[in-house]
Amino acid sequence: MSTLTDRYVWAVIRSLPEKQRNDIERELRASIDDAMEARVAAGEPIRTAEHDTLLELGDPDRLSASYAERPSFLIGPAYYFDYIRLLKLLYVLVLPITAATVFLVQLLTGAGIGAIVGSVIGTAIEVAVHLGFWTTLVFAIITRSEKARKPVASWSLESLPERTSPRVGIPELVASVVFLLFFAGAIVWQQYNSVFTDASGSPIPVLQPDLWTLWIPYVFGLIALELVFAIVLYRTGWNWPLALVNVVLNVAFLVPAIWLVVNDRVLNHAFLSKLGWPDDLGMSVIAPILVLVFVGVAAGDVIDGMVKARRGAVARR
Amino acid sequence: MVEQEIVSGHIQELRRGTVVLACLIVLREPEYGYALLETLERLGFPVDANTLYPLLRRLEKQGLLTSDWNTDQARPRKFYATSAEGRELSDVLSADWASLQNSIRTLEEGDNS
Repeated sequence: MSTLTDRYVWAVIRSLPEKQRNDIERELRASIDDAMEARVAAGEPIRTAEHDTLLELGDPDRLSASYAERPSFLIGPAYYFDYIRLLKLLYVLVLPITAATVFLVQLLTGAGIGAIVGSVIGTAIEVAVHLGFWTTLVFAIITRSEKARKPVASWSLESLPERTSPRVGIPELVASVVFLLFFAGAIVWQQYNSVFTDASGSPIPVLQPDLWTLWIPYVFGLIALELVFAIVLYRTGWNWPLALVNVVLNVAFLVPAIWLVVNDRVLNHAFLSKLGWPDDLGMSVIAPILVLVFVGVAAGDVIDGMVKARRGAVARR
Repeated sequence: MVEQEIVSGHIQELRRGTVVLACLIVLREPEYGYALLETLERLGFPVDANTLYPLLRRLEKQGLLTSDWNTDQARPRKFYATSAEGRELSDVLSADWASLQNSIRTLEEGDNS
């Protein structure tokens, strides 16, 4: 039967490199025997002397790591901040994009609202767990690699965050993302689910199907850019460059939208006639209303951005 | 009154590097692990066995100590001794320790005047 000392020594040396094992085992055994002997000489019974000696040496895994000069932490202090920064960045960028993609795909396949919410949340959790796990694994490996002992990315003064005020909070971010996803979803939805169907039973979309060849993909592109913009805005707060980007994004939507409306290329005539509206109503009433709404919303958004950028600039002074 | 836990934390912090210096000085005469542990304890450098044994190997790897197995006695023991480089380092560390002591005395005298 092996003694406690045998078991302790084995626990220490089993994970050490082969060539160190013998030497460390011999030395450790001698040291344990010396310590026990000293305890017995001081009047302790041999049984408790072994106990106390081993207890004093402590956790064998810790001693083993100390011999092998292995780190006793998962992610070292040299990498900790790189690790946290990367995780934050991944979560802020990848999670919304994944959620948006799942949302659109579910919508396209005609899922119900419950199924959509369920799969968006489910996928988001799954992706979050994967991002966390793999990032942690990579950093744990880097921490254990021999050569790398300095930060992955060097910190610089340029990477200091802007002190921003007013800040863009989570509610604004969520509102923007939800609105954009709703907008994108509505465009997809109206193509496949309409209140009216034609003679063959297929739905009559509200928007002209021709728009799919260029303009609807273009709008989807803009929506993706707006999503990125909303995230950047959340991270940095309003400033003049972002206010300018906001103007560009608004113009990029407004100009083609007005041109399409004025040229009567937006609303589906088949849909309007199903509604029982006279054919010219689209151009004479709806078009001016649409132009007015587009211009109003865009102007409001641009002015809002400018005012907040100005306030931010004042706050930073 | 400063809390005992805070005091011992700072003392530990202050003494952290002194174990290496003490080892380099004591091991000018070759000694084995457990005996060194007792010597250090007696001289007022309390150190845990699970800290000292790996430390000796680390110092040996850095060329500051040399080691030899002594098999003359019933129990073979690994004896460590300070190498030439180890001696050099211990002189540097001792000088640094002395200059620190000087600086602190100057600081305290300046405070009193």
